[in-house]
Amino acid sequence: MRTAGILFILVCAASLFASSQVESGGNASAEIRALELEWSEGQARNDNRALDLIFDNGLVYVEYGKLITKGEYLLRVRRSTPSLQPSIFFEAMTVRTVGDTAIVVGTYREASLKGGRTMVQRWRFVDTWVYKNGHWMLVAAAAAPMAR
Amino acid sequence: MTTLFLAVLLAFAGTAAGYGHEARDSDTRSKIIALENIWNQAAEAKDLKALNAILDEGFVYVDRDGRLLKKADVLADVLASPPVRVSSEAMIVRLHGDTAVVTGVYQIKGTERGKPFVRRDRFVDTWHHKRGTWTSIASLTTPMGTSGY
Repeated sequence: MRTAGILFILVCAASLFASSQVESGGNASAEIRALELEWSEGQARNDNRALDLIFDNGLVYVEYGKLITKGEYLLRVRRSTPSLQPSIFFEAMTVRTVGDTAIVVGTYREASLKGGRTMVQRWRFVDTWVYKNGHWMLVAAAAAPMAR
Repeated sequence: MTTLFLAVLLAFAGTAAGYGHEARDSDTRSKIIALENIWNQAAEAKDLKALNAILDEGFVYVDRDGRLLKKADVLADVLASPPVRVSSEAMIVRLHGDTAVVTGVYQIKGTERGKPFVRRDRFVDTWHHKRGTWTSIASLTTPMGTSGY
């Protein structure tokens, strides 16, 4: 899960772009893929200002099955501790645009330390972006753990 | 089944002109909640005609095991699944122009290998308004309160 509070995220950018597929939308798809990356990088830097620009005020985010708001997400990022945070590695991503809406579906691996051991979980996510006032804004994001 | 399909058509019907902005939004939210409930009933009844009207051709679904299914896969799954009771609660609709995001809790009751089960998952559905109708373009369900480990 792209846990709020992540401080230390290693984003495999090369892998992200190599494995990304643009289903439709041309420039919009490229823009949204870049925003997905910005989101991860902003989170890694604890850059709430960057995240604030990416997240719509009405953002809904499902984290480990819990529903959280933009405010709660940003608060968690602000309070997070680098040494305890997991890492995220994007694997694949597809973007489909339908009018002013874009649906991003992809997978990523999350590594975290539990009881001194590194645990890896794969997740499949669905993110919804909406084009508002000249910008793509993230309005919903959720992920489900992939069965092993 | 015909009744369900008619319900879908009614839910799709446009909002009367002359409404205020808030009344229109409230009306839209009600319609989308109605469509969510019809979706559940259609899944229970294996009503593919109703489901076909609700789901966009490019619909994508991520299930609680992280499997990615397209519209045809979902319809085939519904047809092949044993009888279940499905319901949604705590639904909230957020409108973003022609897009609506619905969050809620999805409960499914059924029998698996002879044993009854009840599952409660969190869901996020995205709807899009096109040519006077709302169709679901994406959906994800995930177990509630899991770390995945």
